[in-house]
Amino acid sequence: MKRGLLGLVIAALALLPSFGEPYVLHVAIVVLIHVVYAQALYVIMRMGYLSFGHAGYIALGGYTSALLATKLGVSPWIGFLAGGAVASLFAWALGTVTLKLRGIYFSLSVFAFAEVVNAVFRAFEAFGGPAGIAAVPRPVLFGTRLQTHAQFYYVVLAVALVALFFLYRLQWTRFGFTLLALRTRETEALAESIGINAARHKTLAFVVSCCFCGLMGAVHVPYLRFVSPFVFTFFLSTDLMVYVMVGGLGSYWGPMLGTVLLTGLGEQLFAAGYYKSLVYAVVLLVVILALPGGLISLPRIFRRGATRERVVPADATAARER
Amino acid sequence: MLEIVGVTKQFGGLTALQDVTFTVERGELVALVGPNGAGKSTLFNIIAGAFPPTRGRIVFEGRDVTSFSSHDLARLGVARTFQQTTLFGEQTALENVLHGRHRHVRARLLAGLLATPSYREEQREVERRALGVLELLGIAAYRDAIAADLPLGIQKLLTVAIALATEPVLLLLDEPAAGLSGEEIDELAALIRSLETAVVLVEHHMDLVMEICDDVAVLDFGRLIAHGPPAAIRGDPAVIDAYLGEAVDHVEAD
Repeated sequence: MKRGLLGLVIAALALLPSFGEPYVLHVAIVVLIHVVYAQALYVIMRMGYLSFGHAGYIALGGYTSALLATKLGVSPWIGFLAGGAVASLFAWALGTVTLKLRGIYFSLSVFAFAEVVNAVFRAFEAFGGPAGIAAVPRPVLFGTRLQTHAQFYYVVLAVALVALFFLYRLQWTRFGFTLLALRTRETEALAESIGINAARHKTLAFVVSCCFCGLMGAVHVPYLRFVSPFVFTFFLSTDLMVYVMVGGLGSYWGPMLGTVLLTGLGEQLFAAGYYKSLVYAVVLLVVILALPGGLISLPRIFRRGATRERVVPADATAARER
Repeated sequence: MLEIVGVTKQFGGLTALQDVTFTVERGELVALVGPNGAGKSTLFNIIAGAFPPTRGRIVFEGRDVTSFSSHDLARLGVARTFQQTTLFGEQTALENVLHGRHRHVRARLLAGLLATPSYREEQREVERRALGVLELLGIAAYRDAIAADLPLGIQKLLTVAIALATEPVLLLLDEPAAGLSGEEIDELAALIRSLETAVVLVEHHMDLVMEICDDVAVLDFGRLIAHGPPAAIRGDPAVIDAYLGEAVDHVEAD
């Protein structure tokens, strides 16, 4: 049934431009982009790391594709891949050093890195300076520049589906399973004691996480046709964490649910910026206090209901005595 | 198989271990005992690769492993448990043991992403092996229980299960009997005795040590004061002295 539902959603997404007005498509594009950001962030949140700076890697990807296209005339298609690659490279460099840190120390190191990234883009005219880079071209497909919302929507949809499929599968690989062993300092010591090279696993996970942020950032910027040091800021980083936590860390579908609800519905209902922050803050507080597993844990809580208490199987004692 | 050669460890001005030398043979069961602060845990952690000694060497199967990290050592077949029961608490008992199989799983990320038939078959095999370890310890009924929710006795067995899942050549047990009931200690003793791997254990329960070990190494103030079979250790004047004349059989956990 799950597969059928998934197929239905993908079919609906594929047919959306036939029905939707440009505005609907705009919302869909924004939601899809942010879903990928949130799922990418989820890779490291799932292994117990919070990042206050993922926007920095999105900016790296976005600037890479914008600079390549405007200064060097490189095709945006190549820019997408280059965006992911550049973000990966910087993630590897930073991750090697800072993933030893835990908790707030790691989070702040990523935050500091993201601030440096935007500061550098702002400081150098070669990178566009404070005004940023305008007239970032859209990619060309079969001789047509993808200028309309409908055309670009398919680019975003394709990249998002590939990214989401990859990130979904990753979680169910042995590698994705091993990341769960690194959630705290204590379990990390245990993981090391059974032969897991924690540093290598964490670095690779961080690189994957930032790679998809960079890739999607490189798609995001040609959509906006513009980038500046004030586009991918600290507020985006925190929004992404809110999406993941509101949706729930317990399942792959949690961050996606949180993102769709908060960016999709949220922006519709509360278009004004101040209200948005207020709504996010209230929703986050309510979820953290009342529903620590996030919205995705709701059905499970209903389903378990009375049987929730029974953690140890009833026949366990008998089996042990045998 | 395991040689501890002239190991000295200093923490600042404090000498925790002073020139400790002894060997562990293949399949042998050796206990590290001594009064509190004697350096047992320090030596144990040095053998496990948690930190290096100030001087001296650790040789494992003819190879100098003094500077090896704990995951390098684990890959050579050295497994350990922790004094404070350490588990992957949020995961099920079976998943805990699955992690223990890590060094026997080939890294095949691409095959995993594509979920190829051979990859899935390998994962099923890993699960069968992990389940086999749970069955060996008699805790297979708890396979789907969250580790943190299990009773302490079962948790202790689960920590041993994780270590055994690595199929170690040398198993290091740090106070495995702490907090267990008499009956549970008997079960644990039977289990440890049934293992074919070499075992080094730090333990306060002298009954357990005297009953199951081939050899006992006694530390006092960082020095090795006696090393030999339990019967010889029992009557060793230096050992009796170290325990302030207490009958060695009755030294209890702190």
